[in-house]
Amino acid sequence: MRKRQWTSMWITLLAVVLVLSACGGKSTGTDSNSASSESGSGTSASTTLTIAAATDIESFDPHNNNNTSSEAVLVNVFDYLIKNDSEQKKVPGLATSWEQVNDTTWRFKLREGVTFHNGDPFTSADVKYTLERVAKDSTLKQNSYFKNIVEVKAVDEYTVDIITDGPDPLLLNRLSKMGAGILPAKYIEDKGFDQFLKQPVGTGPYQFSKWTKDDRVELVKNENYFDGEPKWNEVVFRVIPEASTRVSELLAGGVDIAASIPSTDIARIEGEADKKIVKAPIQRVLQLIFRQTEGSVTADPKVREAIDLAIDKQGIVDSIAGGAGIVTRTSVTPGNFGADPSLYKTSLYDQEKAKQLLQEAGYAEGEAEMTISVSSQYKEPAEVVAAMLEQVGFKINLDVLEPSAFSERYSSKSFKEIFMIGIGNSLFDASNNYNRYMVEEAKGESDYNNPEVEKLLQSALVNMDPASREKEYQQVQHILAEDRPAVYLYQMEGVYGTDSRVNFQPRSDEMFYADEITPAQ
Amino acid sequence: MGKYVLKSLLQVIPVLFIVSLIVFILVRVTGDPVALMLPETATAEDRAVLTQALGLDQPLYTQYIKFLGSALQGDFGQSFRYGEPALQLVLERLPASFELAVAAMFFAIVMAIPLGVASAVKRNTFTDLIISGISVIGKAMPNFWMGIMLILLFSVMLGVLPVSGRGGISHLILPAFTLGVGLAAQMTRLIRSSMLEILSQDYIRTARSKGLGRMVVIGRHAFRNGLIPVVTIMSLQFTSLIGGTLITETVFSWPGLGQLLVVAVNTHDMAIVQAAVFVIAFIVVVTNILTDVAYRLLDPRIKYD
Repeated sequence: MRKRQWTSMWITLLAVVLVLSACGGKSTGTDSNSASSESGSGTSASTTLTIAAATDIESFDPHNNNNTSSEAVLVNVFDYLIKNDSEQKKVPGLATSWEQVNDTTWRFKLREGVTFHNGDPFTSADVKYTLERVAKDSTLKQNSYFKNIVEVKAVDEYTVDIITDGPDPLLLNRLSKMGAGILPAKYIEDKGFDQFLKQPVGTGPYQFSKWTKDDRVELVKNENYFDGEPKWNEVVFRVIPEASTRVSELLAGGVDIAASIPSTDIARIEGEADKKIVKAPIQRVLQLIFRQTEGSVTADPKVREAIDLAIDKQGIVDSIAGGAGIVTRTSVTPGNFGADPSLYKTSLYDQEKAKQLLQEAGYAEGEAEMTISVSSQYKEPAEVVAAMLEQVGFKINLDVLEPSAFSERYSSKSFKEIFMIGIGNSLFDASNNYNRYMVEEAKGESDYNNPEVEKLLQSALVNMDPASREKEYQQVQHILAEDRPAVYLYQMEGVYGTDSRVNFQPRSDEMFYADEITPAQ
Repeated sequence: MGKYVLKSLLQVIPVLFIVSLIVFILVRVTGDPVALMLPETATAEDRAVLTQALGLDQPLYTQYIKFLGSALQGDFGQSFRYGEPALQLVLERLPASFELAVAAMFFAIVMAIPLGVASAVKRNTFTDLIISGISVIGKAMPNFWMGIMLILLFSVMLGVLPVSGRGGISHLILPAFTLGVGLAAQMTRLIRSSMLEILSQDYIRTARSKGLGRMVVIGRHAFRNGLIPVVTIMSLQFTSLIGGTLITETVFSWPGLGQLLVVAVNTHDMAIVQAAVFVIAFIVVVTNILTDVAYRLLDPRIKYD
């Protein structure tokens, strides 16, 4: 009797497990696939490239993605009309040449003989479909970069005119970033967008094979790529959120490249014979942005200068960032349009003068009280900044927020005197850094208002002459370096661990173009 | 019995209703997903358009009624991040979490039974002391720390097991062991005390005096009865394994429900958080009912009114 009861107990438990696993039974069948491809990557390392990043892609819809790690993967599947080379120079992609017809129209000649991964030919209809989709659907995450495109006219099968709602000096920059990944119009019209997301098709050097969310994206070589045969048979992007696991995976030989290596692990990787650390400056500058609203402590230019002088930026780079940073007095770093090298790789630091300035501003020790808000990801540099400011006589309240809480306060513009943030620039143009200092945009955030800067920024926004436009931005950044609506700490660097099996030179845009990575011989 | 099951099933409805209400409110008061979805350079106008498109500009009660209406039809909304139905995303992840939970449970049983029985039989000896010591350490060790240490030892230094990801059996060993250890420690102690109680019972003495061998007495008479409380713990633990594997899944990049939930919380992907919590609540409630039913089958003395 006992025995039978036991049996029924176990059967019940087993039934629970079976019933519940049947709920999600659809994807169980794929387990064995991933296992076999895993063992494959171990035996033929030279034909499979494996890269580990901290976050997964959001989807295979290049128009509805807004994170750099998505684009880093998708650039291998979808091509742009224009590409940025590793120095951020514009080079032909799916367009072979382009010219400005008038202030609001650009004409592009398209590459002939290109096919999508499903065999469909690439024509002007695809360009029209792609760009009008991202320009018109305001729910797409990339829409804000493209909504100034009014129309894309297919002049003939291999020529398009792109028409904007006003002069747009940034059009080429927009066309060489994620939201401009060219989609197959006919395939999507025939099969629908859901099917496209399941079986995405582009013109890029690698084509979709499999995506297991939060685990891996697998791409295989596109034999018919227009720019020659791709270097790898297979490219695997793995998602490993935990940094120490990512480092372990690199050390154990499971991946060829691991991104976002924490500064504390740099020495450990460099200590291994066949592993290496490679770094490259990225498009992100850590900075303090001040509120200049009447009545706030930071409205006084002397206070802002004192803050700038009190912070030892190089010290923060060396101690907190493990050396992975470049001090700067401008956020428009080299490689971006409008950069001024004289303000780069330099910083001001003079604690005595900072103390003196604070006195001149009329504050005794501990009287100038300020709140610095920061997202928890930059907690450590913020703590050091706070300590340095207290050394010269400020009183600092450090307000460390969880990232989503920070984002919400940021978009509702409700910070107090100072907030610390790392600001990126996916357009590689100074406008992206400076538009926030135009009177309308600055309202409620920094409340910065300088008529001269306003005039220059407004003009640069529609200036179609690159030479004079560049001058305008350079002028702006010299004024800002003195006005200090923000104090820049340093340009961040991407830190990657690599195996000696591959040669990898990281890019400033953090993309992983698989064909720029080569097997070591 | 049939009446009891029916009654329990009816009780599931208000429980799930309350769970849905609490999650709905919590998810909405903790932050604005729109801020995380748009680029830093987006204007106030861009944000307004997206807020409206997502229906987040409407009053909370309107949003909730809409949510509830669709949820009843199995639609928990679209994930903001992936743009796919949230429930489908959650269900896709269940097999991975189940695989891990079942393997962890297996490890726990395999470790706990011999250790628990041994320490009861050898009560107050050196063996007992060592086993008790190990189980205290096993219970006290944080999962993430143990996971990282196991990776360093077996994957980086010895190179015998893969570091992370989901694949064949070899991928399962380290995370399942990490997850199973705490449970094993708890079960070892439970088996020990339950065995001790039984070993002092009259029928054990009778069995011994009949001249039955030591192994037969322990194995056939004592052990089977000693397992009853363990089954209770197992069913309770199994549900917590499903929902509570967040840290272990993150350490080993195991693409299960835990990891999905962590990313969803970080990115304020409301629909996924709601669907995941709902599914976990559903599993817990149903497992509890099934456990009760199993008791009834196991021990006819237990009555339900």
